[in-house]
Amino acid sequence: MSQTDAEAVTTTANRTDGEAVSTTAGETVEETRPEWTSYEAGGETKLAVENLDVHYGDDHALTDVSMDIPEQSVTALIGPSGCGKSTFLRCLNRMNDRIRAANVDGTVELDGEDVYQDGVDLVELRKRVGMVFQSPNPFPKSIRENVSYGPRKHGDIDTGLLARLTGRAEPGREEALVERSLERAALWEEVRDRLDDNALGLSGGQQQRLCIARCLAVDPEVILMDEPASALDPIATSKIEDLIEDLAQDYTVVVVTHSMQQAARVSDQTAVFLTGGELVEYDDTEKIFENPESQRVEDYISGKFG
Amino acid sequence: MSRATQNALVRDDRTAYETVTGTAVGLSGAAFAVGLTALLDVVAIDYSVAGLELSVAFGAVLLALGVSVVGFGMASRLGYVDAAPQPSAGIVAAVAFTGIWFAVGAVVSGAAGLGTGGRLGVGTVLGGIAFATTALPREDVGSTAPAGALAGLCGLSLVSGVVGPGWEQVLVGYNATLFGDTVVPVLVLFASLVTGWSAAKAYGGFGARGRNVGAYVLIYLVVCSILAVLVGLVAFVTVKGLPGLFNGFGVGGAGLVRWPFLTNGAGLLADIAGVFPALVGTVWLVIGAVLFAVPTGVGAAVFLSEYAEQGRFTGAVEVATNGLWSTPSIVFGLFGAAFLIPRFGNQKSLIAGMLTLGFMLLPLVLITSREAILAVPDEYRDASAALGVSKWQTIRSVVLPAAIPGITTGVILGVGRIAGETAPILLTMGGGVLPGKSAAPDVLGSFQLSASPPFVSNPALLEATSALPYQLYALITAGLSGNIQNPQEYAWGLALTLLLVVLAFYAVGIATRYYFRKKLHQ
Repeated sequence: MSQTDAEAVTTTANRTDGEAVSTTAGETVEETRPEWTSYEAGGETKLAVENLDVHYGDDHALTDVSMDIPEQSVTALIGPSGCGKSTFLRCLNRMNDRIRAANVDGTVELDGEDVYQDGVDLVELRKRVGMVFQSPNPFPKSIRENVSYGPRKHGDIDTGLLARLTGRAEPGREEALVERSLERAALWEEVRDRLDDNALGLSGGQQQRLCIARCLAVDPEVILMDEPASALDPIATSKIEDLIEDLAQDYTVVVVTHSMQQAARVSDQTAVFLTGGELVEYDDTEKIFENPESQRVEDYISGKFG
Repeated sequence: MSRATQNALVRDDRTAYETVTGTAVGLSGAAFAVGLTALLDVVAIDYSVAGLELSVAFGAVLLALGVSVVGFGMASRLGYVDAAPQPSAGIVAAVAFTGIWFAVGAVVSGAAGLGTGGRLGVGTVLGGIAFATTALPREDVGSTAPAGALAGLCGLSLVSGVVGPGWEQVLVGYNATLFGDTVVPVLVLFASLVTGWSAAKAYGGFGARGRNVGAYVLIYLVVCSILAVLVGLVAFVTVKGLPGLFNGFGVGGAGLVRWPFLTNGAGLLADIAGVFPALVGTVWLVIGAVLFAVPTGVGAAVFLSEYAEQGRFTGAVEVATNGLWSTPSIVFGLFGAAFLIPRFGNQKSLIAGMLTLGFMLLPLVLITSREAILAVPDEYRDASAALGVSKWQTIRSVVLPAAIPGITTGVILGVGRIAGETAPILLTMGGGVLPGKSAAPDVLGSFQLSASPPFVSNPALLEATSALPYQLYALITAGLSGNIQNPQEYAWGLALTLLLVVLAFYAVGIATRYYFRKKLHQ
């Protein structure tokens, strides 16, 4: 809750004295942005973002962001509240389409295909680019139904009456999928005996891992996480962090976080967004935290700014 | 900080003062409860307990309460007890006592024969004294003296017999007479409410804690009286209706239970007249209205809250539905009579009644469904969309299941209203005053198939049918003198049956809501 409030406050603050920020920081940014953000990570590029601009009405949320996200790695997005990192994340699977006032320019290429061109199937896009939200949001259904929800709705699993009568239902497939997804999300051992209990009865950390399992069940290629541990206690947080590192072996993970320690612990490369929705620096995580190029990033990381 | 404003942090032992004031609160509550039963005619006020008439006993209790309440205040004021009164009882209490004492002054001086000017004068003087007594002295005196004096005055008038069982007063200009058996309980209720509040304040040692206890007692007693009125109403209908409802009731025989009142018609051949046709008519009426209104209402709510752009159009629809819900039922009836009846064989019919009540139910189902759907957290929609699930699938599998308890609540409320409606069915459905058993609609058994359009027909839906509220209305307007043995008993039995049918629909709705809520959270 407090996070949302803080976000709102900073957003308004930006709007009122955005002028001042851009004039004081303007010269530094213009001078150095090309080198600092044109970082090339090793490995194949999964997501290529080119000149992304997002407006919410008159509010400029993202300014000309370009970055390449390599596959099978963890990319962390950090920055102060209201800096546009969540907006950036939500552009990657077009969840911003659900906000009427959002206006997106630029391209986001998934395996070389622009997801913002005409004729993109949002269902297919979101099956390939899954998302985990800030606060755990399982459906008020059983644990089993939560995990199998996506595949059922996509028709991959059919346990309906008609399917059962005509022999098309394969009960074993659902069981196997639920077990595999929960195991991958490191939750299976804790819930294997109560799959039919309501998911709302789980603890916050378990709920968040269930949400990850629900996302894994549709077999995505990219997993977007929007501050996945900010509503959790330290022990649950460390479990989620271990999970994120583990998932990067098979998936491309992009994680937004407020906690710089978390970014340093889990990510391979880090992008720093600062006020005004600009990407200030993007590099190996080690480089960002030990020897950043930009003075503003150094100030932010050492706690002098932000 | 002075000693007087400090309270002990831990209150472990009961002081004698607390025991006495607590007893006074309890006595006020008891007087209030007995007063309620007297008002509802459960006990008569001239009932004698050990040679003492109830009204005189009431008076003695009120007198004692009044004196002791004043005593509580004085004990605190003179410093005999440990209390934390504030400088004044406050403007709200002062204004309340001013109003009360103004009325007391005007009524008493009127009874003593003063004219309008004199009454106003006496009332104003007493009101002024009450205001000064409440607002000016310290709280412990201000909130006890006017209250104690009021209770004492009520007590005196009862003990002395000025107001008693035989008392009556013609109200000039109202064409009505007040009798003692109404006025005495009202006086008792009122005075015990005041002493209960005042004694509760003393019990709490005045100040913030005293006000808290006082407000608690006041609210508690008022809520009790509201519940008593509700219970009294149901009990009244039940007691009056039971003999009719269970006339000829027995266990065994052909069926498991013989219940002629519910299974017989009112024809000449029935030895015990029953309400079967109207009962069946009401049940079918409600089923038909629900079948019409729930799918359309929920569908419209889904469209308005999930698909339609929020703006002028949805705003206008909202205003229109709210307006429809407050439209008088007779207007719906007229619409049904003018629009539906010409389209269904030009006569009053069951289906015209069903649709008319369906129109009445529709706005409430729409309003509550919309609220329930809007109350489903957006997180669920986001989560579903992020899994690549389409909007309609999300609505069907996540939004509607989460909204069902709220939708059910709306349907329960609506059914409670339409099941007892008389005016619309009077104009659209009709039915006889005393229908025989053969007049009961056999909806399920009347479906007929035919080779030519419309292929299915159902004559039972097109016949004039009786329903419980309409039959009750018709009986009353026909003068309760039909061809049945005991029309009074019959009519009360009918009223009780209607009450039970409505409560049964409620019970079904509440069970449904409970089931779905448990499914969501368990």
